[in-house]
Amino acid sequence: MPDAIKSQIRTFIVENFLFGDDSTPLGDEQSLIESDMVDSTGILELVSFLEERFGVAMADADIVPANLDSIARIAAFVARKSEVVAG
Amino acid sequence: MKMGEIRALQQADISAVAELFQRILRKTSQPATHALETYLTGLFIEAPDRDPEIGSLVHVLDDGRVSGFIGVMPLPMLAEGRSVRAAVCGSLMVDNHADDPFAGARLMRAFLSGPQDVTLTETANDISTAMWRKLRATVLPDYSLEWLRIIRPAGFVAEMATKAVGAARLLSPLARPIDSLIRRGEPGPRWSSLAAAIPEETLPSVDADDETTATLLTKWTEGYAVRPLWQPENLHQMVAEASSKALYGEMVRRVVMTRDGRPLGLFLYHGDPGRIGRVMQILAAPGRIGETIDSMLAHASERGMLALRGRTQPVLLNAMLGRRFAFFHTSSSVVHARDPTLLEPFLAGKAFFNGFAGESWSRLIGDRFD
Repeated sequence: MPDAIKSQIRTFIVENFLFGDDSTPLGDEQSLIESDMVDSTGILELVSFLEERFGVAMADADIVPANLDSIARIAAFVARKSEVVAG
Repeated sequence: MKMGEIRALQQADISAVAELFQRILRKTSQPATHALETYLTGLFIEAPDRDPEIGSLVHVLDDGRVSGFIGVMPLPMLAEGRSVRAAVCGSLMVDNHADDPFAGARLMRAFLSGPQDVTLTETANDISTAMWRKLRATVLPDYSLEWLRIIRPAGFVAEMATKAVGAARLLSPLARPIDSLIRRGEPGPRWSSLAAAIPEETLPSVDADDETTATLLTKWTEGYAVRPLWQPENLHQMVAEASSKALYGEMVRRVVMTRDGRPLGLFLYHGDPGRIGRVMQILAAPGRIGETIDSMLAHASERGMLALRGRTQPVLLNAMLGRRFAFFHTSSSVVHARDPTLLEPFLAGKAFFNGFAGESWSRLIGDRFD
């Protein structure tokens, strides 16, 4: 499941923030902010994607780098949220 | 790891917000003055139509510093006969925006999740417009254009050159004789200038006081499907504040009159003679907007203005076609509503939005706080 989540998130990031260019390696732990891949508009886009694709409700306090600054963090966040919903 | 929080603006935040305003929106290293702090308090904490559930927000870093702000002014409106809660949003500013893109995103999202029925902004730049779109807001093209009407072409070119290179003001004296030639009908760009003689049929105008302005604003917005529901005392305060825009110049506020002495239109702009005037509002009795525009241009020409510019509304766009206006885009007017029926009047041009139904009346746009 986590790998499936990561794959979907990676695809979204490549398509929307790298304009489909997957020639440069994008590590799971790579910071999206420090790599200048995501700005404020991108954050909103990412949040909408997570809400729609994974059905997670994003509270204001969830929208922080600890949850959204890399593929690994996003995947872990989605997995945690999904457990809460399922539980 | 930065977390921060979003919370309601408090009085204790005002000095930090004032510093952000100076640095980010005014782009100056001058410290914020007490006058600015007082004004921000009056506008955002003691707002004219304050609503305990709709207000400005700040982004606070983990160390307690205020790093972001979104200014919100509640605006009760009447939509197709029913009262709705609207909120006008402006002054979105975030310190170190590139390094902390979360702050702006969180501020806008938190604000839009508020209880207001309609959210409006008329000063969205390209970045915030993109953010608004991601939050499913609608950009209104007919309310988002700047119009420009050149009156003295050579003077206008010299003024624009001055803004680009200060020394070009030395050219300004040369512009006056050139414009005189153009206005007398010598070969020149006739498309943009006004004839020296004002057409006889142009309607006269007289100065308008605060009381008259507030009365006519209320009267001539009544025909709109969506319009502000101003409380008289609040509207008076807004009208009074709108008179002070020192960075733009002296206020000109006139009522256009019919030949038999009845009010037919209203225009308000700021600008000193020999400069470009900024029009804040044009309003008229139904079907009389064209005559109001003609009267305004005639008055501006007699007063020595180089040009006038302002913001479009659908009713103005229609009247300006054929009157030698130019249009360009600098920022967008945006609306957000969860109920799609509330969007329809905005899309159909039947909502009164911009100017006094927006944020341009505020002293934050165009005034000094020395």
